[in-house]
Amino acid sequence: MQQIPLAAAAPGMVLARAVLVSGDRVLCGKGTQLTEAIIDRLRHLEIGSITVEGHPLGVEGEKTLEEQLADLDERFSRVQDIPPLMYLKMKIRERLIAAQGR
Amino acid sequence: MMDQEESEERRRFRRQLKELKNLPTLPGIVAKLTRMAENPDTTTDQMGRVIAQDHILSAKLLKLVNSAFYGFPQRISSLSSAIILLGFNVIKSLIISASIFELMEQHDVELWQHSLGCAVVANELARRLQVSDPEEVSTAALLHDLGKVAMKLELPGPYQEIGAMVRQRHIPRYQAELECLGLQHAEAGGWLARFWMFPDRLVEPILLHHAPEEAKINPQACAIVHFGDILVRGLGYGHGDDVWVPPLSKKAWDILRLSREDLDDLLAVVEEKLWDVKGFSLEIQAGMEGRPAGGPANV
Repeated sequence: MQQIPLAAAAPGMVLARAVLVSGDRVLCGKGTQLTEAIIDRLRHLEIGSITVEGHPLGVEGEKTLEEQLADLDERFSRVQDIPPLMYLKMKIRERLIAAQGR
Repeated sequence: MMDQEESEERRRFRRQLKELKNLPTLPGIVAKLTRMAENPDTTTDQMGRVIAQDHILSAKLLKLVNSAFYGFPQRISSLSSAIILLGFNVIKSLIISASIFELMEQHDVELWQHSLGCAVVANELARRLQVSDPEEVSTAALLHDLGKVAMKLELPGPYQEIGAMVRQRHIPRYQAELECLGLQHAEAGGWLARFWMFPDRLVEPILLHHAPEEAKINPQACAIVHFGDILVRGLGYGHGDDVWVPPLSKKAWDILRLSREDLDDLLAVVEEKLWDVKGFSLEIQAGMEGRPAGGPANV
């Protein structure tokens, strides 16, 4: 899933998280497919960002998977002798790869 | 002789930190609330009403207690229920820290996100480990890098030098702090928390987040905040050029007793909640005018 500014929303995108108003009222449930009308409505309610399925936007400055994995290696480079942290790293790696799986 | 000189320096920095020229002073409301809390006849409603007089503060408090890192299933719309749910000590620390957060949001969004992330992980861990007061642990996690903010504001020269040392020599921040000032941010945060009369159970996890094995009062909370810091750093919510995951304290790990399955679960839950945190800090950056639904006046 990816969090995108409403300005980048397009019909056909599917909500990966519900859009809430006043913090707790569900305006649009998870799984809703966006239409022009829904996007308009969200705009009127001044919703700033939404979370959609997949990874539709190549955000400027966002890193590629390879770059993210290299960063991960660097972050854990000084704790390679600590088994629980190496397990943690492996799991984060798996999740990074899965997140790109659209 | 060398030692003496060093301790002289440390004393000077300590004094400088405590002068708090650039840090916010304790809001008067805290003294008032502390007096009220000492009186057994005071009700949470009365305390809520006192806080509500400061509208901005109440809106911030409600926003904090409703954010992902406390993880209450339902929205808390009144200050009196917030006091009941979080306890007076946590509310007091949050009031004191509200002004610090404000500075952090403005000056160091990265540190703010790191702190929020750490609080999310700590809350989740505290619940899993059935800690008696998970909110206290989340609050300690939220404040664990208080010392960094204090250093940045009170010792801007050394702070920049430390940043440069980290960048140029690729050393962890606490090592650069020790070399440059003879004290590190955890210690500075601990002093400050004590100076502000935070309860010891909150001071210790701030003071010992890089040395949880030294904990005496609240070893479990220290272990949780220590690991929370490690995990959010692992996920990439670090601070500045000091990107490395710090070493894990063996003793803290033994206290946590997390299995591989626990870690798998934890990562899944935390990842979801960190989305909220990102949204939360973006929202705060966009200004408080957003939506104090339920409102500060609603006590």
